[in-house]
Amino acid sequence: MRTSKALPPIIRIIKYTIIDEVRQKSFIIMFVICAIFVFLMRGCYQGNYMVNGQLLDAGTVVKTVSKVTFHVIGVSVMLIAALFSMRVFKRDRDNGMQSCILSKPIARWQYVIGKIIGMWALSVLFMFTLHSIVFLISSISLKVIMPEYLAASLLCSFNLLFVVIAVLLLSLLMADIVAFLCVMGIGVVSFVADGISAISHSQVAQAMLQQSGSQSDLTGWKVIYFLWPKLSGTQQVASSFIGIEGFQGLESVYPLINVLIYVLILGALLFWRFRNKDII
Amino acid sequence: MIELNSVTKRYDSLVAVDNVSFSIKPGEYFALLGPNGAGKTTIVKMLLDFTRPTTGSLSLKGLTSINAACRTAVGYLSENLHIPPYLSGWQYLQRCAELLDISRSDAVDQCRRIVELIGMQGREYNKVKTYSKGMNQRFGLGAALIGNPKLLILDEPTAALDPIGIREIRQLLESFKNQGMTIFLNSHLLSEVEKICDTAAIINHGKLLVKDTISTIVKEGDTLEDVFIRLVKG
Repeated sequence: MRTSKALPPIIRIIKYTIIDEVRQKSFIIMFVICAIFVFLMRGCYQGNYMVNGQLLDAGTVVKTVSKVTFHVIGVSVMLIAALFSMRVFKRDRDNGMQSCILSKPIARWQYVIGKIIGMWALSVLFMFTLHSIVFLISSISLKVIMPEYLAASLLCSFNLLFVVIAVLLLSLLMADIVAFLCVMGIGVVSFVADGISAISHSQVAQAMLQQSGSQSDLTGWKVIYFLWPKLSGTQQVASSFIGIEGFQGLESVYPLINVLIYVLILGALLFWRFRNKDII
Repeated sequence: MIELNSVTKRYDSLVAVDNVSFSIKPGEYFALLGPNGAGKTTIVKMLLDFTRPTTGSLSLKGLTSINAACRTAVGYLSENLHIPPYLSGWQYLQRCAELLDISRSDAVDQCRRIVELIGMQGREYNKVKTYSKGMNQRFGLGAALIGNPKLLILDEPTAALDPIGIREIRQLLESFKNQGMTIFLNSHLLSEVEKICDTAAIINHGKLLVKDTISTIVKEGDTLEDVFIRLVKG
């Protein structure tokens, strides 16, 4: 009974969050720019690609270009989700919706949950639409159907949930733009760290590390690397579905668990922070 | 209906509300008076759980103010009312009705009645950004009336209204008396308060100076304004 009574206000807040965001010109402009970019990527599917003197077959080209597009869209939508989330509370406060909603028999947790789900749903829809355009291009023009592409897109939504919650939380603690930059910084470090980790696993890097004897010095960095929000890792796990690279053991699920744990921790902090916040 | 028990609110070293206690009975028309910065709006915000008291407790309809359920059948008009400029007045009222879980057909009926009540027929479908401050205030009051509230908390409801608007709002509030509604009014317009309210409290520097019926506070030959200035100036 409690749950059934708690749901309608949350659903309405989700609805208003989505409507208020989509209504903005900046949202529409961003979406149009992204869609044009994805359409332009179509040209990359045609053409001859040589790797080590060997001509790549059409199937490999489609899979590779689709994967690159997948990552570019994933990162771009994370950036866009952060941009839109940073002003959600401020906008609601400035246009009076926050006090309007909270003066009704609606608890603060319902309001926060509505905002989180609204922003998350909108970001996921944004990303899924862009990924669907790539899927349609490869299916219709190139006759390569990759249903796993859409599944991978949905898996990437964990990253968007992290970004939305992290930005919403930080926007309560600091200036909106600083909150945005902080979360983007976390993302950049995650992607750079994964890149360095990939390089360090190469034979050359291993040999260099053994020679210098600095293996033990890296333990601290490895701990930080594993504890850092694995946004890049989650995207890698998602993209591994494209072309079916296969399940690579527990290690491949770890980034998802890592991001989910962060989502839970940051979500709890967000609820706690908003509960103690004065409504203006 | 409303009860404040030894409520104190501190912002760092500033004491906004200092050990205030009073209660308001159902059906009472109550005015909270005080100069700017006396702590009136802070009390309203604590009643709605927009801010928490440092010590003490507040309750609405027997429920503690931190319980969202206590705001059932409570209408609120904010001092600094803002309405999303991209909505029309009608859309704003509809949103408020939806948030109260009122069915679509009931919401339309209620909104239509309220638009008539606040005298905004013909302008309800215009965007809020085209409204004057007074028109905004009317729609704010309209939004507070959605869901047939038993308690109206009005923070400076006549702040942006012209004399005709002030009179209309007063007449509107007076008409609710027969319906058993309780009104908590924050206002500077002492002459209006004197006409509408049964009881009043005067606070200054967060301290409660007096809380009684208007007829007891205002002695023969005095006005509420005289009493107010005398009490506030000490």
